[in-house]
This record gives sequence, C-alpha cells and structure tokens, in this order.
Amino acid sequence: MGYLVLALVAGLAAVERKGFLQAMLSRPITLAPVAGWALGDLQGGVLVAAPLELFWLGAVNLGAALPVHEALGTAAIAGGAVLAGRALGGGTTPEIAILAVLLCAPLALLGRKADRLVEIWNERLAVRAENALAHHHPAAAVRANLYGLFLPFAIAAVLAPAGAAAAEAIIPALLRAFPGAAAPLRLGFFAFAGLACASGAKALRARRAPRFFFAALGLAVIVTLAAGRLHA
Amino acid sequence: MTAPRLSPAILARVFWRCLFLQAAWNRRGMQNLGFAYAIEPALRALYPDEARCEAALARHLRFFNCHPYMAAAILGGAIHHEERVAAGAEPEGQPLLYKQTLQGPLAALGDGFFWTALRPFFGALAALGALLLGGPGVAAVIVLYNVIHLTLRVRLFLAGYRRGDAVVAEIAKLGLPLAADRLREWGAALCGLAAAVVVARAAALSGPAAGVLAAVAAAAGYAALARGARLLPTAYAAALFGAAAAVAVGRLHGSS
Repeated sequence: MGYLVLALVAGLAAVERKGFLQAMLSRPITLAPVAGWALGDLQGGVLVAAPLELFWLGAVNLGAALPVHEALGTAAIAGGAVLAGRALGGGTTPEIAILAVLLCAPLALLGRKADRLVEIWNERLAVRAENALAHHHPAAAVRANLYGLFLPFAIAAVLAPAGAAAAEAIIPALLRAFPGAAAPLRLGFFAFAGLACASGAKALRARRAPRFFFAALGLAVIVTLAAGRLHA
Repeated sequence: MTAPRLSPAILARVFWRCLFLQAAWNRRGMQNLGFAYAIEPALRALYPDEARCEAALARHLRFFNCHPYMAAAILGGAIHHEERVAAGAEPEGQPLLYKQTLQGPLAALGDGFFWTALRPFFGALAALGALLLGGPGVAAVIVLYNVIHLTLRVRLFLAGYRRGDAVVAEIAKLGLPLAADRLREWGAALCGLAAAVVVARAAALSGPAAGVLAAVAAAAGYAALARGARLLPTAYAAALFGAAAAVAVGRLHGSS
C-alpha cells in the first residue's frame, strides 16, 4: 500500500513540476513532507525537506535546458527514508536519511534522462495534433496537449517507489550489520546539510551571494554562542 | 467595427487552461500545443465559422516558448488581437507577430525573476521555516508564494487582454530585474541562516565537534562549488567526510 501511495504522490509531483501549475508543490520542501505524511511519518519528510530543497535550489527549467529531476529524487529519498525507518521499528533519523540520500539521489539524474525521452514523445504528440487539425478535428488537436501529462506521471510513479524499495531493503540491513555506523552517519547527514545550504546560496547566482551567505552564517553562529553563554 | 468582448467565464476557462501550458513541451514547437489548448475556448467564441476558427487555431499551433508565468500576459494579449482580427480591425498575422515579438524578452524576464530569484528565495525561506518551525513553517511560506505568484499570473493575463501591446509598459512598471537582484542576495542570506541552524542542531545533538564539522562542510562546500565542483559528487564527498571525521574523532577520544 505504501508503494502505491508513493507512486501516486511522485506521479502527481512530476506532473506539477512542469506540465501543470508549477506552484512549488513538487519542490523538495513541499514534496518531502507530503510524501512523509502520506506514508505516515510527516516528521521524517520534514527532516529531509530542508536540506534537499537547498541542495537542489538551482534545479530550474531555464529555456530548453533540462535540470535534474529533483521531484523524483526527493520522492524516492523521502519515501525510502520513511519506509526504512519503519522497517527498523522507529521513525526517520539523520543516519537513515543520509543513507537514503546516498542511495536515491542519482535517480534525479536518471529522471533528467527520462525527461529527454518525454520530449521526444511529445514531439509525436505535436505532429499528431497538426495532423488532426489538417483533418478538421480541432478538438482532438488541442486534446493532444493533455496526453503529454501521462508519461512524466508514469515514469515518476515507477521509479520513485523502486528507489524507495531499494532503500527500504538496504538501509535496515546495513544498520543492523554495522550498528556502530549510526553515529558517524549522523555526522555525515549534518555535513550534507551544511553543504546543501552552501549549494542553495551558490545557486542564487548573485554577485554578492558569498558575502550575504557567510555574513548571515557567521552572525547567527555568534549570536547563538553568545545566547548560550548568557543562558549558562 | 467594434471588437467583440469575451465573457468572464471564457476568460476564466482560458486562464485555467494556461496552467497546462507545458503539458506537452517538445523541442519542435516547444509550448505550441499548450498555447493552442489554452486559447481554444476564446477562438471558438470569437469565430463561429468553423473554417476561420481552424485557421486561427493553426496560427497558434506554431512555435511558441516563454516563461510559463509570463506567458499569461502573451496569452491575454493574443486574445486581445484575435478579437480585433475577428472584428476585421487587424490583419490575421497580427496575433502571431505579437507573440513572436514578446516571447523572447518576457521569457528572459520571467526566468530572471521567477525561476532564479523569487522561487529560490521562497525555497530558502521555506527551508529555514522547516528547520525552525517544522511543517507549519513550510505551509505558511508555500501559501504566501502562491498568493504572490497566482496574483501576478492573473494580473499579467488581464493586463495583456485589456491593454494588448501596452502590456509591456505595465510589466516594466513592476521593476522585476531590480527586485530579482535583492531577492537573490537576501536568499543567500537565508541560506546562511539555515546553515547556522544546521550547525546549532548538529552541536546540540552530537556535540560541539559536529557543529564545527557542519560549518566546515558549508564553507568548504561553497568554495568547492564556486570552483566548479559537480553537485552530486560533492554531496557524496561531504557525507563521507562527515562520517570519516566522526570515526577519526571517536578513535582519538578512545586512544587518549
């Protein structure tokens, strides 16, 4: 049942990402909590949402350029982390989350390749629409547009649960085999989250982005340390 | 001759359909199918004669590509011109000329403002919201983004429809390039704040060394990405570096 739910969520996100609306509902920051909630662990989704959003902040569809399929990657990572957490008998933890990232993030690259196939398929739809209009079927011609939604849905609905299933099988086995790995992996998650913040700032392409990024980071750390000392 | 005006219901239908503009994006005509799909209800109302309606639809099946939000302005403007064509006040090529003239500049403007400034800014804000407030923080930011984005999309569509060629002046008044520069800079600052929260959380959960490690990953990661390092391999390196550092620190503590 979990896989079916994840397939539906991932498929709809893939459609929203380019074919319909584009209202940030397929961005990692929304999709991960939704996937987590749909699988019964909202907090697990929220845990991975922020680092994934910042990590893929630069994944935007500019002109004809194809970005990585961040929605597919996110659905697989969030789904895999939640399902693996459940298989281990608890919630999603940072060590489970980082393993899900390492296992499922390459799906975002695979999704980009799949997007190229979708464009080729859509070319056929365009030809079909022109032919329909030439044969005086205007309604059929315009309807061809909606057929373009099917393939992105199907690809994400198959690949995201497949990635999550792999994570669900591998992560619990790894953590059971190497229980001592949990603490180092937790730090691996925080290192990834730190990098993700840097990736977000870099993706913003502002000349003064480094100044703003490091100033905000430094200032906030100093304020936190000072507040901690005052408390102590 | 006065141009016929379309009913609000038809305009609403066209706007709804323009949300599907990229449903069948293809390298041949790019958003051509989406544009024809969106404008079809308006063409049916404007051209009761089947042959003229088909000819108008064929015009809009030609190449078209723009930013999906900004395309709403061109769609509204194309209907404005089609109304005039239907009334005999303009030649049939005018709507096409209008689309060809505006699609490039508005695509550049939309990419520069919405895709590389407004959306990443809200993405960073939502990420910070998730780190500090959890799910409610994310929901509040996404709702705010969509109030802004949908308001702009509707306004662009109506401005195009009502003002035709003058929509360019309307869009210029919004001052989008300047706003984009500010949003990018403040977005970078939000990423810095998010990094500080990660550092604090790492320190709280796994000790001060974990906080230092997260800060090093953020700083070194930025430097590596600025030098052209690829994103995914850098992520693997950061995660493995974090895990390896934890093992090394553990051994040091164990041996002392």
